[in-house]
Amino acid sequence: MEENVKKEKGKFRQMLDDFGLPRLIITGFLILLLVVAPFVGADLPTQISNIISRFSWNGVLVLAMVPMVHSGCGLNFGLPLGIISGLLGATLSIELGFTGGFSFFMAAVLATPFALVFGTVYGWLLNKIKGGEMMIATYVGFSSVSLMCMMWLILPYHSPNMVWGMAGKGLRTTISLEGYYTQALAKILQIRIGKLVIPTGALLFFALLAFLMWAFLHTKTGTAMTAVGSNPTFARAAGINVDKIRLLSVVMSTWLAAIGILVYEQGFGFVQLYMAPFYMALPAVSAILIGGASVNKASITNVIIGTILFQGIVTMTPTVMNNMIHTDMSEVIRIIASNGMILYALTRRTEGAKK
Amino acid sequence: MTEKKGLGALIRQNSVSLMFVVICIICIPISGLSPSYLINEIVTRMGRNAFLILSLLIPIMAGMGLNFGMTLGAMAGEIGLILVSDWQIVGIPGMVLAMIISVPISVLFGLFCGKILNMAKGREMITSYIISYFMNGAYQLVVLYLMGSIIPIKHSSIKLPRGYGVRNTVSLLSMRQKLDNLVAIRFWGIKIPVVTFIIIFLMCLVIVWFRKTKLGQDMRAVGQDMAVARDSGINVERTRIISIVISTVLAGIGMIIYLQNMGNIATYSSHSQIGMFCIAALLVGGASVEKASIGNVFLGIALFHTMFIVAPKAGAVITGDSMIGEYFRVFVSYAVITIALIMYETNKRRAKSAVGAELEKAQLEEESR
Amino acid sequence: MKSGNRILFRLGAIAVIIAIAVCMAVIGRGHTIYFDSKSGEYNGQAYTAPYKTEVYVKDERVAKLYDGERGMASTMGQTFHYSLEITPEKGGDSYTKDVTFKVPYNLDGVVINIAAMEAGLPEEAYISEFVPVPSAAELEDEEVVTDEFAGLTEGDEAEAG
Repeated sequence: MEENVKKEKGKFRQMLDDFGLPRLIITGFLILLLVVAPFVGADLPTQISNIISRFSWNGVLVLAMVPMVHSGCGLNFGLPLGIISGLLGATLSIELGFTGGFSFFMAAVLATPFALVFGTVYGWLLNKIKGGEMMIATYVGFSSVSLMCMMWLILPYHSPNMVWGMAGKGLRTTISLEGYYTQALAKILQIRIGKLVIPTGALLFFALLAFLMWAFLHTKTGTAMTAVGSNPTFARAAGINVDKIRLLSVVMSTWLAAIGILVYEQGFGFVQLYMAPFYMALPAVSAILIGGASVNKASITNVIIGTILFQGIVTMTPTVMNNMIHTDMSEVIRIIASNGMILYALTRRTEGAKK
Repeated sequence: MTEKKGLGALIRQNSVSLMFVVICIICIPISGLSPSYLINEIVTRMGRNAFLILSLLIPIMAGMGLNFGMTLGAMAGEIGLILVSDWQIVGIPGMVLAMIISVPISVLFGLFCGKILNMAKGREMITSYIISYFMNGAYQLVVLYLMGSIIPIKHSSIKLPRGYGVRNTVSLLSMRQKLDNLVAIRFWGIKIPVVTFIIIFLMCLVIVWFRKTKLGQDMRAVGQDMAVARDSGINVERTRIISIVISTVLAGIGMIIYLQNMGNIATYSSHSQIGMFCIAALLVGGASVEKASIGNVFLGIALFHTMFIVAPKAGAVITGDSMIGEYFRVFVSYAVITIALIMYETNKRRAKSAVGAELEKAQLEEESR
Repeated sequence: MKSGNRILFRLGAIAVIIAIAVCMAVIGRGHTIYFDSKSGEYNGQAYTAPYKTEVYVKDERVAKLYDGERGMASTMGQTFHYSLEITPEKGGDSYTKDVTFKVPYNLDGVVINIAAMEAGLPEEAYISEFVPVPSAAELEDEEVVTDEFAGLTEGDEAEAG
């Protein structure tokens, strides 16, 4: 009997360890917010709609983390590079005069070659510097964002909806997608129950990509990718071309980031240029970590749970805080929680990490 | 081996510095800035930034890479200055007091940072980088919500009208350039802040001396090989924490020197940019992730800041848009860090594979016998 | 014994640093001194402002005051030396006098009414605390910008320096 209790306790301990203390705190915090919300006068259906729609905006960006984590390249702090491909696709699609929902499709098509080229170069670079991927990824992201800041000013865009009215050249910092692909996915099969709004199309799009990713990870190449991530030496011995697999994972991640930003934009309704992509990697990184991933292990479930938890906190804290203490501390909480999560993940011992 | 180094290797090793020399040579005439103005600016920036950059040297020595956590020290310095300016302690005494206040805060931050970095060996840089973001959140919590509500802030010129939190900018008019102007020599229109330079020079001497102490030797040993250092009886963890604490404390003091020259604090952004610019400057001076000297610091400031001054002007002349130059220098800062990191990692791999090849060769020889 | 010495040494160092900090807080305390040249009345005794008053601090003229005007000077520490050159009548002779003023530590700003001081009134009659009135710009709500690149769009460091 006592033995059994001990065993149970051990199991519970084990579960707690697997789940991780910070994750537990964050989940608890979100549950607390949800419970408190009705009492402080926040409208729960609106809140839940917000969480769902923000999940649909961000899901693909978080999904973009998965392939690189699987192949052992670590967390993709270089996400901005993919985002830039997406932005190039978006602006080109508008420049070429596509409108409505079709412009979303064209943006995705036009972004793809950029994502493939950038991803290949980026992947080639990461193969040269195995072991130091994350730091270099961060700075590749930063460099490319600041390079593109100059490009947005110089490139010969002419569409009056995008350039500065006065100068007639140089892209604006935010471009409205009204008349283009705003809500292009969300509108499809949208469900409204009172105040609860569900952007079915966007969720289905995410589900499709997530399913494809899941299916890919179960193909021969997909399992090879996992093998490369968990034990490169073994993978090499088994005749897998490690560099090629890693390159593939980086290209996939970059392409998903490009599509991810387009999905984000269709929900948000604006294209944000210049410094905006700068910090987009950190929320995605912390979201997948909150979902239970580690530096070298991530699943689709991690993506879904992580995005819900992260976006839940991001949307709930401002309203609840404001209603409770009339100060908006949400920004500070977000910074501490998300970066704290990344720190926690970085300090965990992982099999793939060097001593 | 070092004597045999060819010209090619020399160029490759200093490629970043050489690239900067080229950028500067091209941009200076285009910008149309007069040499005396330029030299004056560089001397000013030398005084402003050198101490901050010197704070990066010790963690490099201990093999912990570029200390992106120096931002933490900068935050401590800012907290000291905000408090001192609310107490209306002015001039040099105000600076000294701010430094004294910043030291315990820096030590705490440094201990925290060092402890975490010990848990993330092998990826110190990305971790210290995320720590700087994490602590920025904590800093905002203190400065934006606790100051004025729990930590008393009296003056409405510092406090936000809502009753708590600190304004976007805090004026340091009462101590602006007080240290620089204490003894200032003018030399063909170039102002030389003598006292600031003396302090920087003393700091250089301290670093040179520190390298020779027992602790400094230990740090170098830890930096070379942690396992060997541990075998020879060095407390590796403690040594690494000490190196980060020293760096953080120096960064705090450096930030106060920097801000007295600027004359105001951008409460929520001064510290976040400073880390990037200091690291970029050091790398431009020819330092690498595992090796940096005092000479790199000064060469780096001269080259990096020439680019910094000249780029917006040159950009405006070439394209007619001043923003291009602004973005250009941000791009260059990041690109320099990226290149340096890539070179570091490839060198590390090359060295590792060289060792591997040698081992293999030895093994083959063994077998053939 | 050795570790005991070490603790003592450390405590001593901390004490010295705290002592320096206290010294700095005392000698570095900044005050703003305002000079008023205003006519008025104290306990039924009327006094009039001189025609012109010039205030010198460290041989530098900081204010030139006519009737009803106010000037100011900043100072560090609690002892404030200044000299006055007072011309009572227009076109009349002037005289100079040196004054040393002990500034109360807790006051940020002190107003000295020169007219009242010259009339020989007690200190509480001519010295008062300066109570700042927040300017309109200071009362206006300020949006806090925590963005790292806030400076980039408006021109940053290089322009400020």
